[in-house]
Amino acid sequence: MISRLRALWNNVFHRKQLDRDLDEELQAYVELVSAEKVQAGADPEEAHRDARREMGGEHQVIQHVRDVRAGVWLDRLVQDVQYGVRTLAKNPAFTLVAMATLAIGIGANTAMFSLLDQVVLRLLPVSHPERLVIVRETGNHYGNSYGANTISWPMFEDLRDNNQVFSGMFSRFPATVTIGHGDRVAQIPAELVSGSYFPILGVGAALGRTIAPEDDAVPDSRPVVVLSYSFWRSYFDGDRTVVGRTITLNSQAMTVIGVAQPGFDGVELGVPAKVFVPIMMKTEMTPHSDGLKDRRRRLSWVTAYGRLKPGVSLEQAQLSLQPLMHSILQMEVQQPEFTRSTTVADRQLFLRNRVELLPGSENGLREYMRKPLWLLVALTAAVLLLASANLANLLLARATAREREFAVRLAIGAGRARIVRQLLLESLLLAGAGAVLGLALAFLADRILLRIYLPADAEFVVSPIPDGRVLAFVMGVMLLTSLVFGLLPAVRSSRTEITLSLKDRSGALSAGGISLRRMLVGIQVALSLLLLVGAGLFVRTLRNLESLGPGFPTDHLLAFTIDPSLNGYSDEETKSFYERLNVNLQTMPGVTSVGFSSMPLLKGYAWQNAVLGKDFEGAPIEEQPVLSEVGPDYFATLGIPIVAGRAFTAQDVGPAQYAVINETFAREYFPGRNPIGQRFGLVDDMEPVSPDTEVIGVIPDRKYRDLRETPPPQAYFPYFEGTHFRFMNVYLRTQADPRQIEDELRERMRQFDPHVPVVGLETMNEQIGFSLRTERLVASLSAVFGGLATLIAVIGLYGVMAYAVMRRTREIGIRMALGALRSNVIVMVMREVFLLIGAGLAAGIALALALADLIRSQIYGLSARDPLTFIGSAIVLTVAAGLAGFIPALRASGVDPTTALRQE
Amino acid sequence: MPAPQSDLLQGTLDLLILKALTLQQLHGMGVSRRIAQITGGAFDVKAGSLFPALHRMEQAGWLTSFWGESETNRRAKFYSLTKAGKKQLHTESERWERISLAMATALRTT
Repeated sequence: MISRLRALWNNVFHRKQLDRDLDEELQAYVELVSAEKVQAGADPEEAHRDARREMGGEHQVIQHVRDVRAGVWLDRLVQDVQYGVRTLAKNPAFTLVAMATLAIGIGANTAMFSLLDQVVLRLLPVSHPERLVIVRETGNHYGNSYGANTISWPMFEDLRDNNQVFSGMFSRFPATVTIGHGDRVAQIPAELVSGSYFPILGVGAALGRTIAPEDDAVPDSRPVVVLSYSFWRSYFDGDRTVVGRTITLNSQAMTVIGVAQPGFDGVELGVPAKVFVPIMMKTEMTPHSDGLKDRRRRLSWVTAYGRLKPGVSLEQAQLSLQPLMHSILQMEVQQPEFTRSTTVADRQLFLRNRVELLPGSENGLREYMRKPLWLLVALTAAVLLLASANLANLLLARATAREREFAVRLAIGAGRARIVRQLLLESLLLAGAGAVLGLALAFLADRILLRIYLPADAEFVVSPIPDGRVLAFVMGVMLLTSLVFGLLPAVRSSRTEITLSLKDRSGALSAGGISLRRMLVGIQVALSLLLLVGAGLFVRTLRNLESLGPGFPTDHLLAFTIDPSLNGYSDEETKSFYERLNVNLQTMPGVTSVGFSSMPLLKGYAWQNAVLGKDFEGAPIEEQPVLSEVGPDYFATLGIPIVAGRAFTAQDVGPAQYAVINETFAREYFPGRNPIGQRFGLVDDMEPVSPDTEVIGVIPDRKYRDLRETPPPQAYFPYFEGTHFRFMNVYLRTQADPRQIEDELRERMRQFDPHVPVVGLETMNEQIGFSLRTERLVASLSAVFGGLATLIAVIGLYGVMAYAVMRRTREIGIRMALGALRSNVIVMVMREVFLLIGAGLAAGIALALALADLIRSQIYGLSARDPLTFIGSAIVLTVAAGLAGFIPALRASGVDPTTALRQE
Repeated sequence: MPAPQSDLLQGTLDLLILKALTLQQLHGMGVSRRIAQITGGAFDVKAGSLFPALHRMEQAGWLTSFWGESETNRRAKFYSLTKAGKKQLHTESERWERISLAMATALRTT
């Protein structure tokens, strides 16, 4: 083995020396042989000649020796590459077109893959992320929940202390905290973590230390905080003396004990945590909800993670956790707070809940982006396939032109395998050049996409710079593409008939795989129809969502969020803060109306709760109404009319309780009755409730959570009637363009209370635009890809028809000599063109119909098999391709019979 | 890396070259003449087969070479067996003996 490697090394790097040595060795041989002959009595000169002759051609011997040298394939490869580069350079137009096509195809794929990889595929930057799982409970938990993957703190403790399958478990809770550092007040995402969080993740500290189990043993005992590396760099300018210093979070003094390792921003991809705090400090970090000390098991708020023991698979773990979960559920189902708010049927349903384990790198953003990104990757793959078909076509045409060259090479003894190899190598060279250009293109494309797609202040880091995984992907794509477009022409060329090709054949071009080329064009037409249909569907989805809107006027509407409770304000102080703010903003010049709401509009959040009344009681979560608490002028500010009864007034404060409901609520809960004056109550697991909230008004159905929803039943309560006051969403209706008063508003708020930061100040239209960013991304990119695909297919069709016409020049000449009219010739060619288009369209439509179900969830306001879109796309494609086919048809009709016939 | 299963003819030439080099180191022509001598003139190895074989076997690590002086006082490349070469000679001889025995038996059977 080693001697072989040494030989390879010598053969590659000391070739000159080796050749000289070989020469000398052979000279010595000849001399020795002739000396032997001289000794036997021969004439010296004659002996020398004989010796040389006996050797049988010095060059052949040298060649034979070279052939056994290790790494001879390398020599041949270098030769082939040189030959390939020369051949490609001889035909720069072809080479440029091919490289550009590939660069666009590979570039688009790489750009999309890079996003997909970073958002959807990549695992968390922790040790052995594949062994990490999220532990969740399936089914209805019957209680309040902070999200689908959350469980109650007592359940987490039970699972942590009694499981056999994890080497450890931790839990986390995301919170927003106000950081006050000097006069730089800001709200930042924080992660409240159990003491085992850092050890189990295997995440270390870049500076100081991370949170240890003893920091998280006793509630409220250790006010310590770990900073994320990027936050330490940006907010504290990478100051190394920060460790040990005290900072203020939610008006609580906290000691910085360390900075986490670079690149680690918590376990939620979309919302990178800036600070990590022991979960035992929950009360201080979320002043209004104290889930930690709440021993009730009906409040789900922590996400639980486990690290699988070595040798335990996710499925095994899931299976072996079921009995434990079942025993927990059996205990819970007997607790008074459970029995109070549920029926017997509910309890049976509840006992069927199970443990489900999800991959630990799963998160909300991933869930949300998975389908759209895969869709875009599929679209780009189709574009690349189409580009490859086009290139295969070009190569087939070129192979026809090079038949003579191959025949010559075959005739002088090149093996057919060598010719296939040579052609594949040329394809690989093209694909390689295309990949390099494509990589550059992908970098640019990703930079532009990220700028459009992510808001300017986005904390979520997606980099356009390709990494090892992206490079590996490009390599794979490059090899695959070169095979796809190169193999067919290469194999065809190697079958060249020597005798046929070397004969003089001026005028008559060989068939050149014309049927194969037609088929490739058919595939291109089919694929571009597919992409055009997709583009049509997605663009119309976006238009539907934009034009339908939420149901209320969104122009001249400004929104922001604020939370004085995070500054340590008591309920009384917070309430007073809001009341004064309401008055203050109403007097602001340019503001016509101010509306307050506890829940944000069109941001995907909802407060849901079961309601009960005289003849209805409870409901599973999907059917529960969506609720909010609003200020007096809320409906007027949003421009939502009152269709029956009245809106809230400032006088609607205790002891009577009032509600405004929407039409769907009225229809579902008070069918056939006048809803005004009806009563209902909110189910509470703490105490039995009676239905004594009175309906005073009805509003029409308006969208609440997002633009795609069918408005759910909604109920609104007067905000200032409550007793707990937390964050507030403030909506301002303005006289002029709301962006003009943004700066003024900021300044006014700073004067109002410099310690309470204004968060997420933006116009309603900006907010809606942002909420449609995925739809916009998919629509705009699919439109670009569709256009590109059509262009490539049209060029491909033109190429094949032009070639077909050229090949038939003589035939056309004869026809015209025999009296065919120009129009006859045009019809003849166009018939072929439309046959090609028709076949492609048929295949494309069949394909699009078959794939429609896959994109159904991404479509809004029309069917995924929308006939108008299908027909429109087919017409666009037919016209474009028809025009491309008309050019060669016209040229054919201009053939001069005498010239055409003289060619032979 | 296991020794390549050389086909019969190439195997024969390799074996003869290895055998020719057991007693002394030889240059190319010396190997050729020695083979003629030990096979009673039955094999006359031509340069076109000899030198590729010598170079191939050197790369395989069975032979090693050095530049020495020939009987005509000329610089010539000499070959000698390496340890691996001796081992190869041993296994190849055994294999060859098995084959020739089998062949002889087969041919004697009527």
